[in-house]
Amino acid sequence: MSARPAAFFRVEGPIISRSAKVAAAWLAANSQEISSRFVRLGAVALSAPLALGGDRTLATCAAWMGLRGMTEDRLVILGEDYYEAYLEDNLAAVGLDLLARAKREKQEIVLVSEHLECIIKPLADKVGAKHLVCNRMEYRNGRATGRLLDPVVGRLGGTWLKNFAAQHKLDLSKSTAYGAGDADVALLSAVAFPCAVQPDRSLRAAARDLDWPVVGA
Amino acid sequence: MLRKTLAGRHILLTGATGFVGKVWLAMVLERLPEIGKITLIVRPRSRRENARMRYEKVIDTSPVFRQLRKDHGANLGRFLGARLEVLDGDIEKPLLGIGTDAVFSLAGRVDAIIHCAGITDFQPDPLRALKVNVFGARHAAQLSRRLSVPLIHVSTCFVAGMVSGDVPEALVPGIAPNGQPFDVNAEIRALQQACKEGDAVEKVGTRIDIGSARAKALGWPNIYTYTKGLAEHIITQTKDVNWTIARPAIVECAHEYPFVGWNEGLNTAGPLAWLITTSFRRLPTAPDNVFDVIPVDEVAKGLTHITAAAIRNEAGGVYQLASSDVNPLTFGRCVELTGLGMRRWIRKGGGTPSERMWSQHLDPGPVAQHQQGLCSVDRLLDFTAGLRDGLGSVKSDKSLPAKVADSGVGAALDDWLASARSKVYDSEQQLKRIENMLELFKPFIHDHNYILQTGRVRALCEDSMPGFEWNVAYIDWRHYWVNVEFPGLQKWSIPVIRGEKIPSDSPSSPRFELEDVHLQERVASK
Repeated sequence: MSARPAAFFRVEGPIISRSAKVAAAWLAANSQEISSRFVRLGAVALSAPLALGGDRTLATCAAWMGLRGMTEDRLVILGEDYYEAYLEDNLAAVGLDLLARAKREKQEIVLVSEHLECIIKPLADKVGAKHLVCNRMEYRNGRATGRLLDPVVGRLGGTWLKNFAAQHKLDLSKSTAYGAGDADVALLSAVAFPCAVQPDRSLRAAARDLDWPVVGA
Repeated sequence: MLRKTLAGRHILLTGATGFVGKVWLAMVLERLPEIGKITLIVRPRSRRENARMRYEKVIDTSPVFRQLRKDHGANLGRFLGARLEVLDGDIEKPLLGIGTDAVFSLAGRVDAIIHCAGITDFQPDPLRALKVNVFGARHAAQLSRRLSVPLIHVSTCFVAGMVSGDVPEALVPGIAPNGQPFDVNAEIRALQQACKEGDAVEKVGTRIDIGSARAKALGWPNIYTYTKGLAEHIITQTKDVNWTIARPAIVECAHEYPFVGWNEGLNTAGPLAWLITTSFRRLPTAPDNVFDVIPVDEVAKGLTHITAAAIRNEAGGVYQLASSDVNPLTFGRCVELTGLGMRRWIRKGGGTPSERMWSQHLDPGPVAQHQQGLCSVDRLLDFTAGLRDGLGSVKSDKSLPAKVADSGVGAALDDWLASARSKVYDSEQQLKRIENMLELFKPFIHDHNYILQTGRVRALCEDSMPGFEWNVAYIDWRHYWVNVEFPGLQKWSIPVIRGEKIPSDSPSSPRFELEDVHLQERVASK
């Protein structure tokens, strides 16, 4: 079977405007014991300087580390609730249009998200994504260890993308990718048809330099 | 095998108006229409409303029969008339009170008796519980012997009593849960005698105290498990009865049949879920202990398999319909899932403003009995009592200067004090209710950890047919508790605690009636 074209979508930016850190903070603020809520929120807040420092992957790991000790039940149920309450009705029109276009063009949809699987899976189901690459929490005895399972979705490298494409028989030379931030440059650089969607300042600059199309500016 | 065994068979059922009985009946009628006949023994409601009329109303308005009503429409009376027979009876009377003519007419026609009727309150009047749970079982056993058919007696896993650890699918006749030998008939007589002395003659509360004490002395935690336990021993002592005991654990909302979340009346999880919806947020439970819950439709399936095996003469002994040995749900998990279910239910529009406030900010949690701290019911009751006394001692004419008191401020203060005293009184009453409830549930949610063995029932259900698969091992408790159990309790169970009416379906017009269809007609119409 020949390799198929795919459409890679970074979820944060093109499809939803809320950062994954907001979701981590919301989950932390809804842990079972009130006392632990403050500790967890503090841990999530510590990830902000790391993000500002430029290490997106480390910042992602630090943010989700704040949920250590919470039960899988709580994270899954609240994750579903978070999606329904805050994300489902606030999906970006431009992102949904691009998803619809990718489906019309028979591209395999790959969602790439820094959110936990329990939050973002309903979106993948809703848009009919064939693949969902997102952060998955490690659980032991029903409780989160705070560690993310590989691959950690933060700044994904081009090598990871090539391996993923080979594993799933996707043809990057016919594929499209949509991103919104500087962490997506490697993703966009690895496909034939990159596109910046509502980009931040740094990606906008990169798009201008590399002559990538920009939508939803 | 199940279909083949039950096709054309005639089963006699008691307790058809109860939670389990109704679901079993509807499930068999819907999924095994090849069943020959099911005779229901139902107590007439009054002289004007005999058993048949009473049950016609049940079929017409109970949500359990919705699917059957939808599937058969105007032909439901004919469909059910060919398969159902409703007899006036009373399980408190010998031979279930159906009369000798009915016994004579049933002889040679019936293949098995399922005795499902019983009182499920934890602390009923022991004399009433004796009549219904113990003598009812004795009368069912007598009828089983008279008709020479197997008896399937529906009991409860918690006849195991105040024990922890593995509870086998077994019964040792004449041995109480505390391991001591006892004579069941002597115990019944002693209980009856004790309830005839002194205050007990007049006061139900005294009788309940006596019953509870006797139950605990033998190792049963309450009057319900005591009388169900005595019933099991009574059955084993009735000579020439081919008995099988089906023991469900805590029967809860339907997983899928008759529909997702169906529940009826007050079961164990209902009051606990209600507690969590109050301002009481710390449930004294042992978080690692198992809460053995089983959906009512799984009980109905298991009961069908047990009945078929009994008819094949392959059953006998005890079968436990439970989940703890293959798919345990712990209390800690259950309490957390209840809180999460509450949050979701409220997010979807349920709950009162105060419930919204609590659920948003305070999640319930399990706490050990000795670590309840300031939020223990005892301390809260002391606090409210002190507050009530304090408010009661304040009088405007004594607390305020005469000029101020006469100026209208005094009247306003008195109004405010009266309102405050009323609110404190309400809180105190609710706390007392919670205290009683926790005391009743404590053996099951805190003191003992039951691991109920189900190997026999699992072996029986291996050879199944669509609609009767035993799925207990595969229940996803997270999904079940949040999306099935909690909304089901909110709709069908918790309103009972609040004194509200449970919704039922509108009666049809003209009134639904079972048609008299004879077997020959049924064969001809096939």
